[in-house]
Amino acid sequence: MDDLPALYTRSRLGLLLRVKAQSYTNQIARALRDAPIRLMATGLLVALVWFGLYMMFRLVFDQFRRTPLEATVAIPLVFNFFFVAMLFMLAFSNAIITYSSLFGRTESTYLLTSPLTTLDVITLKYLEGLVIASWSLVVLGLPLMMALAHRATNSKLAVLSLNPPGNEWTFYVLFMAFFLAFIPIPAAIGLVMSWAAARFFPRRALRFSAVIAAVAVAAFIFRGVRLLRLDDTATESWIRSFLSRISFIESSFLPNYWVSKGIDHAMHGQLSESVLFLGVTIANALLLSWLAVRFVAKRFDTALERASTAGSRAPRRAQDSAAGLPGLVFFYLPGRLRLIAAKDLRTFFRDPMQWTQLVILFGLMVLYLTNMPTLTLQFSTRGWALVIPFLNLCAVSLILATFTCRFVFPLVSLEGRQLWMIGLLPVKRGHILIAKLAFAMTVCVLVGVSAMGLATWMLGLQPIWAAIHLLVTAAICFGLCGFSVGLGARLPMFQQTSMARIAGSLGGTTNLLASVALVTVILTGVGVATWRSRELSVNAWPDATSFAYCGGAAVAALLAGAIAMWIGARHFAKVEV
Amino acid sequence: MNPTETATDKSKTSDNNSSTSRNNDTPSLIDHRPEDDDTPTTSRQSDDTPPSSANGCAIALDCVQRAYGTTIAVRDLTLSIPRGELFAFLGPNGAGKTTTIKMIVGLLRPGRGSVHVCGHDMNADGLAAKAQLAYVPDQPFLYEKLTGREFLYFVAEMYGISCEDRDARLAQLIRRLDIGSFLDELSEGYSHGMKQKVVLASALLHNPSVLVIDEPMVGLDPRGIRAVKNLFQEHTGAGDTVFMSTHTLDIAEAVADRIGIIHHGELIAVGTLAELRAKAQREHSLEEIFLQLTEPDDG
Repeated sequence: MDDLPALYTRSRLGLLLRVKAQSYTNQIARALRDAPIRLMATGLLVALVWFGLYMMFRLVFDQFRRTPLEATVAIPLVFNFFFVAMLFMLAFSNAIITYSSLFGRTESTYLLTSPLTTLDVITLKYLEGLVIASWSLVVLGLPLMMALAHRATNSKLAVLSLNPPGNEWTFYVLFMAFFLAFIPIPAAIGLVMSWAAARFFPRRALRFSAVIAAVAVAAFIFRGVRLLRLDDTATESWIRSFLSRISFIESSFLPNYWVSKGIDHAMHGQLSESVLFLGVTIANALLLSWLAVRFVAKRFDTALERASTAGSRAPRRAQDSAAGLPGLVFFYLPGRLRLIAAKDLRTFFRDPMQWTQLVILFGLMVLYLTNMPTLTLQFSTRGWALVIPFLNLCAVSLILATFTCRFVFPLVSLEGRQLWMIGLLPVKRGHILIAKLAFAMTVCVLVGVSAMGLATWMLGLQPIWAAIHLLVTAAICFGLCGFSVGLGARLPMFQQTSMARIAGSLGGTTNLLASVALVTVILTGVGVATWRSRELSVNAWPDATSFAYCGGAAVAALLAGAIAMWIGARHFAKVEV
Repeated sequence: MNPTETATDKSKTSDNNSSTSRNNDTPSLIDHRPEDDDTPTTSRQSDDTPPSSANGCAIALDCVQRAYGTTIAVRDLTLSIPRGELFAFLGPNGAGKTTTIKMIVGLLRPGRGSVHVCGHDMNADGLAAKAQLAYVPDQPFLYEKLTGREFLYFVAEMYGISCEDRDARLAQLIRRLDIGSFLDELSEGYSHGMKQKVVLASALLHNPSVLVIDEPMVGLDPRGIRAVKNLFQEHTGAGDTVFMSTHTLDIAEAVADRIGIIHHGELIAVGTLAELRAKAQREHSLEEIFLQLTEPDDG
């Protein structure tokens, strides 16, 4: 490389970062110019979420103030668990973002054929993933910090007070510094994970990440359940045993320990100790980042080749019937609609992004449900016996809403490129929407009602309440699927091919808000009925008013879904692509 | 070279260059070395030197082989492309064109053999090789949230082009490719043809010694196609090289100095159109020669 101009041998990371900054600036400027209301609505929503979290953290710290003994033990644990959770979340988030941007985008191809060093390209992608993935710290971390500072300035509790009083700004600066020093650590782990996924599992990188994430979370929950299963939760020995079992997260070799300790020292005005921990965190973050970037850059060629040239899988043999086995699931639909629904089901199972998320969400739900009866909590009273299934219903509803907004809403838009073909088929356009609804309903009912059925069975719920919960779950499935298919047809993005972008569009956001509102209305109805029945004897049936609340909730779900479908079908019949 | 040269003008014989596959099972349009000769090339220019040396070759592939699992995508490919040549690389779908291109631009490494660009080994000295080439893939890449002009400025800075040179060169390219009307809009709104033109401009901005381009004319209007043809011919006329992969045989026939045909990973024919015709012993069109050579295997 003797004759290579110096220009090409020196790092041009600055240029790459400048062009990225320019790109984001243009994006914001365009959004401000073309869709200011949408931007404001998004900002407002983020502010609402942020404020909600802030209030929740304040309530938690309020609760601690009332129970000083528990607070003394719990506060350091809260921070430790918070940063352990962030370590996992950010590492996986970074791994997915970095994998997509390094191995799945044409930008990498472009940059790697340019006279740039691989080190520059990997560093750029590492920094990009770090910035994009750390939004969760901004959303979760800032309200935590503000709530802590607010409570600390008004607290006489040693563990929760700023010392000396009035050192809020030092605390804020150090708190932010700890956050900034912390995020490169999971980002470095995520970078190496993305490289490993491409290197060792090039065909199934997403499935690999999903399975690892599921195993990690399952192990975490399993351990948590085991902790709660200790015999008597009201004794000192329980507390000792509990603390001894979770002491592994307080290892001084873990980054959550450095950050938690550093923040604790910052709160108590022990600046030198706090700065020492900050130094340890920064040093480790820099070293890990340097090692990760160098390691991946040196071995990147092999991973890129494996990711881009992994041998094709065994060819799939087409079945004689176009609907094939998936068509059997939709036996109740007439011929052509069955074909469309079967095509969607086949696509669903061949896209790991879709089915793994559903499996993870409901897998965790099943794990929790099957462990529920083994916990030593006192559920024998009537109130708890109804409250727990109601909370299960809330969880299942929210998971279903997440699934329909993310994966069902984009279905109609994704047909955009093929609409010329579908438009020529001898099928009414409205029937296409019915096929989409049937597909979505089938998946949601199978998964949602099964999970609720398992929950009611494990809890030994009274048959009438079990029936109410199962019927309401089915109605929620219809309402959510109707919303997502109907609004997907009313507010489509036919030119977009990315499911995530369609789900994140204005239409997708509208659908998300509508779905959350629908779930809230339905759960309010069931919640009131649950509250009214708390004093009744165990075997008594709910009164007529409670029945009316539950029935009303179910009817509201059915009506909402049907109206959304009607609106969508009217628009879809006239739409031009 | 005059850019308005007609297609037949291009049927010139490359007296100082040729290429070959070393596989003796390939059809007879290839020049073969004697069987006992182990040297990895039969380039006429370099009968006594391997093509991978820097002596005048813009691109030199020497016994390159690349497999995906058990499937061999490119088999023992030896090919020398001299400076100043417009080389058209043809082949049916799945023949190994894209794999070959990816090895030339450094996105894939050969399992065996070597790839040199302007005398630089792509594997050992990739940065120097990449500094000499530009690559335009079949799906052109632009940063969607940058305007075309911002993207071109970025490319200019990446290649160390001064502002004066950049502006002068850009003014020419804007005029030639007719991209001035949309260059200041975000590229997310560009059609395929508009993107293709801007990416071509970015590729030519730094006057690369080697331009590797996959399906250059897809999405271009007739005026755009003419402009690109002319630019290619000017580029090669100035002593630089264009390596073009295409399915549009008319274009290859019209502008290429030499044509290579790859089938099942093997280079089965290479030469000027006149040479291909002479060897086929019939006045076939390129389309007929291509179809004859790449007939599907029975069974």
